[in-house]
Amino acid sequence: MIIFSNISKKYTKEGAALNGVSLKIPTGDFVSIVGQSGAGKSTLLKLISAEEKPSGGKLVIDGWDITKIRKWQVPHLRRQIGVVFQDFKLLPKKSTFENIAFAMEVGGARTKEVRNTVPHILKLVNLTDKATSYPSELSGGERQRVAIARALAYKPQILLADEPTGNLDALHSWDIVQLLIKINKLGTTVLLATHNNDIVNALKKRVVTINQGKIVLDKKGGTYKL
Amino acid sequence: MIGISFYRVFKAALQNQFRNIWLTLATLVIMTITLLIVQMLFFANVFGLEVLNSIEKKVDLSATFQDGISQEKINEVVKIIENRNDVQNVKTISSDEALLIFKQRNLDKPFIEESLKELEENPLPASIFIVATEPRFYEMISKFLETERFSESIDTIHYEDSKLVIDRLISLIDTVKNTGFIITIVFGMLVVLIMFNTVRLAIYSCREEIDIMHLVGASRWYIRGPFIIESVLIALISVVIASAIAFPIIKSIAPQLESFFFEGHTQEAPFNLLQYVLSEWSTIIGLQVAVAVGLAVFSSVIALQRYLKT
Repeated sequence: MIIFSNISKKYTKEGAALNGVSLKIPTGDFVSIVGQSGAGKSTLLKLISAEEKPSGGKLVIDGWDITKIRKWQVPHLRRQIGVVFQDFKLLPKKSTFENIAFAMEVGGARTKEVRNTVPHILKLVNLTDKATSYPSELSGGERQRVAIARALAYKPQILLADEPTGNLDALHSWDIVQLLIKINKLGTTVLLATHNNDIVNALKKRVVTINQGKIVLDKKGGTYKL
Repeated sequence: MIGISFYRVFKAALQNQFRNIWLTLATLVIMTITLLIVQMLFFANVFGLEVLNSIEKKVDLSATFQDGISQEKINEVVKIIENRNDVQNVKTISSDEALLIFKQRNLDKPFIEESLKELEENPLPASIFIVATEPRFYEMISKFLETERFSESIDTIHYEDSKLVIDRLISLIDTVKNTGFIITIVFGMLVVLIMFNTVRLAIYSCREEIDIMHLVGASRWYIRGPFIIESVLIALISVVIASAIAFPIIKSIAPQLESFFFEGHTQEAPFNLLQYVLSEWSTIIGLQVAVAVGLAVFSSVIALQRYLKT
């Protein structure tokens, strides 16, 4: 369960990226977060992964008040949250297998466990034949699938997807969305920040609309409305 | 657990070095050249000081004893002078030895031999030659010899004649030493800056990777580890390559340097740079390793700190 209680985030004195946001996301939920550029979608996700600290309010993830998180606790939090970015953020000098293995290794997984788990994840994202390829040798869709596979490596409770289809064509975008649905069905809470109205409308899941740092709509089975 | 982490960090360091081979090579070349310059500067400094020492040893203060002085009295004077802290070496030449040397020097001048035969007594006095620990002490030693204590033993002190040469030598030695010290400090600072910035640049080129590692939950030490090990390995390899280049250079120029600067040196065995390097190699390598590795670790930690924001 993720609980935002009156969360605000200010980058400058003048404007607030998020202002008085209160939101409850139960475990296993699939939430699409929509809004115009600069509305505060990415900030909302960055607060969950502790990339940013809230300026006010309280944010609790599975009973852990992360507004009071210490620097040394951040890696522990991040090992429980998978994050997928628009620009993939893959390690360029590591192969597909190594990118996924790295996420497991930093969490302290044993070598045998890494060797056994990574092929399963690669199969789940349909990239078994690309295990030894480097990111520069993959297409955009494949890179994003590697990023999702990496996010799944440490079996996270929460998966944050920040515009994961932003750099992909329609076909690859649907591939990624299907993958996110599959992951959600396995019990992982998925938060998808997107601009893509076709995807949001087709998903028929909970939609949270943000405008100028405030939640203006929160509807189950909602559609893309700005 | 710690063992697995160390193995992974070490493996990642080696992997990064091979996969970023051009960056590794560029860093290696810069560090090797820098260390080579430091080594050459160090050897030039050591050699320069030895040359100055040798020049210093060629200068001495001489005085002649009174005619008819007894050997016991000479020994007594020598003992007093030798006990001074500013005196390095004392040598005496008896009047008989002086006469022998004089005759040998003038073998080709028969009229001198004839003149000496005319004299019934040996006209040459016994002399004392004093080498000070440093040229600036000659004045003090000269004044000491002028005191009442030696008035019955010493006839003439030959200091004023050589004072100008000694003063010039003191000034020259001071200038050379100070210049050497300033050059060493300036180069030392340059080396620190070059090595620091080389490591920083190497890490700067990996800043996005560092950011990604952080985002997937790698701890600070898990991120720092490979970079620190990489820079330490590069530093160690640089020391080896720089020394491997420096050694043949020293080996080839040492005989020329010795014959050029120490020719005619008879007081003691001339300084040989190659022998010095061979006898001090563990200190030279150890110092380089300590400085290079220390700088590599320091630079890595400082450079990484910037990109390890939460």
